[in-house]
Amino acid sequence: MKRLLILIGKIIVKMLRLFKRNAGNLPGIILWHLSGHKCVSMFKVDCPIIAVTGTNGKTSVTNCIAQLFEQSGKNIIINKEGNNLDTGICSLLLRHCDMKGRVKADYLILETDESHVPVVYSQLKLDTLVVLNFFRDQLDRNGEMETLIQKINGFCKTFEGNLILNGDDPNTARLGKANPKNKNVKYFHAMPYAFATDKAFEASEGRFCPFCGESLEYEYYQYSHIGKFSCKKCGFGNYEPYITAEKIDLEKPVFTADGFEYSPKLNSIYNVYNMTAVAAAAKLYNIDQKITNSVISTYTVNNGRMENFMLGDRETTLNLAKNPVGANMTLRVMNETSGEKELLFVLNDNVADGLDVSWIWDINFSIFERVTRVVTSGTRAYDIAVRIKCSGFEASKIVVCPELDKAVECLAETPGRKYVIANYTAVQPTRSALKRYISKHGGKSE
Amino acid sequence: MKTLKILHMYADMLDLYGDSGNMEILNYRCSMRGIKCETDKYSVDSDMPDFSSYDLIYIGGGADLEQQHISADLLKCKEGIVKAYNEGVFLFLICGGYQLMGKYYRDADGNEIAGLGLFDYYTIAPTSRKKRCIGNIVIQTDITGEPVKVVGFENHGGQTQEVKTPFGKVLYGNGNCCASEAEGYFEKNVIATYLHGPCLAKNPEISDYIINYCINRGEDVPVELAPLDDKLEKDCRNVMLERLLK
Repeated sequence: MKRLLILIGKIIVKMLRLFKRNAGNLPGIILWHLSGHKCVSMFKVDCPIIAVTGTNGKTSVTNCIAQLFEQSGKNIIINKEGNNLDTGICSLLLRHCDMKGRVKADYLILETDESHVPVVYSQLKLDTLVVLNFFRDQLDRNGEMETLIQKINGFCKTFEGNLILNGDDPNTARLGKANPKNKNVKYFHAMPYAFATDKAFEASEGRFCPFCGESLEYEYYQYSHIGKFSCKKCGFGNYEPYITAEKIDLEKPVFTADGFEYSPKLNSIYNVYNMTAVAAAAKLYNIDQKITNSVISTYTVNNGRMENFMLGDRETTLNLAKNPVGANMTLRVMNETSGEKELLFVLNDNVADGLDVSWIWDINFSIFERVTRVVTSGTRAYDIAVRIKCSGFEASKIVVCPELDKAVECLAETPGRKYVIANYTAVQPTRSALKRYISKHGGKSE
Repeated sequence: MKTLKILHMYADMLDLYGDSGNMEILNYRCSMRGIKCETDKYSVDSDMPDFSSYDLIYIGGGADLEQQHISADLLKCKEGIVKAYNEGVFLFLICGGYQLMGKYYRDADGNEIAGLGLFDYYTIAPTSRKKRCIGNIVIQTDITGEPVKVVGFENHGGQTQEVKTPFGKVLYGNGNCCASEAEGYFEKNVIATYLHGPCLAKNPEISDYIINYCINRGEDVPVELAPLDDKLEKDCRNVMLERLLK
């Protein structure tokens, strides 16, 4: 039966290729139905599997870990297109397996959607699970966040492989206590950076100890609910870090982890956390320090994550924000830039974004400094305009342009520094619109 | 002009889908009219406040876990809240806040969480956690004296029953129960609703109903609210009405 399914799957992949269609997800969906919803169980994987999950940063960390092994000369398989559900992973493995379903590689590095971790890894043996963070994201699709954490926690109860956890996020650190028998729990941690605060800065999750219900106390917050926390009652949060990022200076940017200095390309605190997770994986798998250094110091992204453009002579930075945490980070970076600037915010409410846009009310726009004008666009252009208006920003300085090309034209009309925030399904159309502007009026993209 | 005194209860625990935004909106609309707002916060560790000294008591919605955390504490406040309500203090309640003012909330496992019993309705969560009322919602309410379409976003498992005086009639979405006709609960000094979004974002008439009630309570000479430019809010609502009702 398994062989028959593999054969069917491979035929579908071939057919899609023949018609030059993307075989990213469809073969997996078909096999999911045919296999009684166990579409990855038919594969035989003998090599270690490393999975990366969490709300923010999955793609970056997955790519970096893959590079660690690639540069070490290993043969790896990775879901690069971000097909991170069971069906996407099934489609990926179909393309890489033989007719018996055997997958040949040295390592599988799989970005995995938070809600699919138990599904996929009850069928495939997992060597290491990296959990980055849990934020409010697409709540309406996933139900409540607590349910999501419970699902992964349930998986962790019997998991005995390596668990690399963000020790500064109570939502992820708690997973380390799911299976007291697991001796392979490893926490990564970061010392405070220059903009760390002693009070929570934005609406945040996980204010209470999940074990005893006591309020968690924080020595410092880095951003959102990420920071050095502990429970004074039951001691949750008192762990020995496996790896610690310190001497963080985002101006340069530079930080050290485990005594090694890194100069990443991206200057945000969340990148420091992501790269510390990468360094933890490198340490665990004994990657040559030269390779770790090269991966962390050269990693950059051209996919709308702090991507720079020149609209004519207007310096412009585009950043993806899928949730308040991402958006607040961009606002902070904006504020940390001197001089006047303008913002374009593109907000969509397509299915993949989550139909609900109320998360924009958890963005702290009252911190706006020297922002002289805001343009809004996307299917929910008016919602973000109303939100910014009610934060006290003058309504006459808000321009609503639902149509993207017009919005970009409008943004570039005036001189000065520009920032663009776009949510999930908005980011690629926004990149395209910025590029269309550049090909029409000049400028450059990275 | 009078200062609006607001008590925001459990802001640190019940804040789902931008519910705290409602307070930001009320503050904004007051400040544009020169009305001062003073907001106190109350949560599990706070001293017992004098509920009757406020014009408005606000409770947002939360996940089940948070709701369990606060229900016992809320019962301790029962006497004060009942007194304030009887004296005409305005209660604005979203989702969990709405449910907890009824007789009880029965969760998916059959556990009953006692409500304040201020109103006769009660809420039962379906035994399947997957069954939830999720999505955009449009209701029509007459509370301002004219029909107003109110747009928000709902996400609740609980089915609220025996509501005698609903907040509005459902035009799109679910309301108090899956596919029900009525949404929320209303009295002249109570708006209780499942609408998140936050509820007041695109519905300035509802904000102004609340502000108007609060500044005129106990006043002999009625005070008129200065009109504001609500073009953005109304355009915002119209985009959704076009999409959902056509």
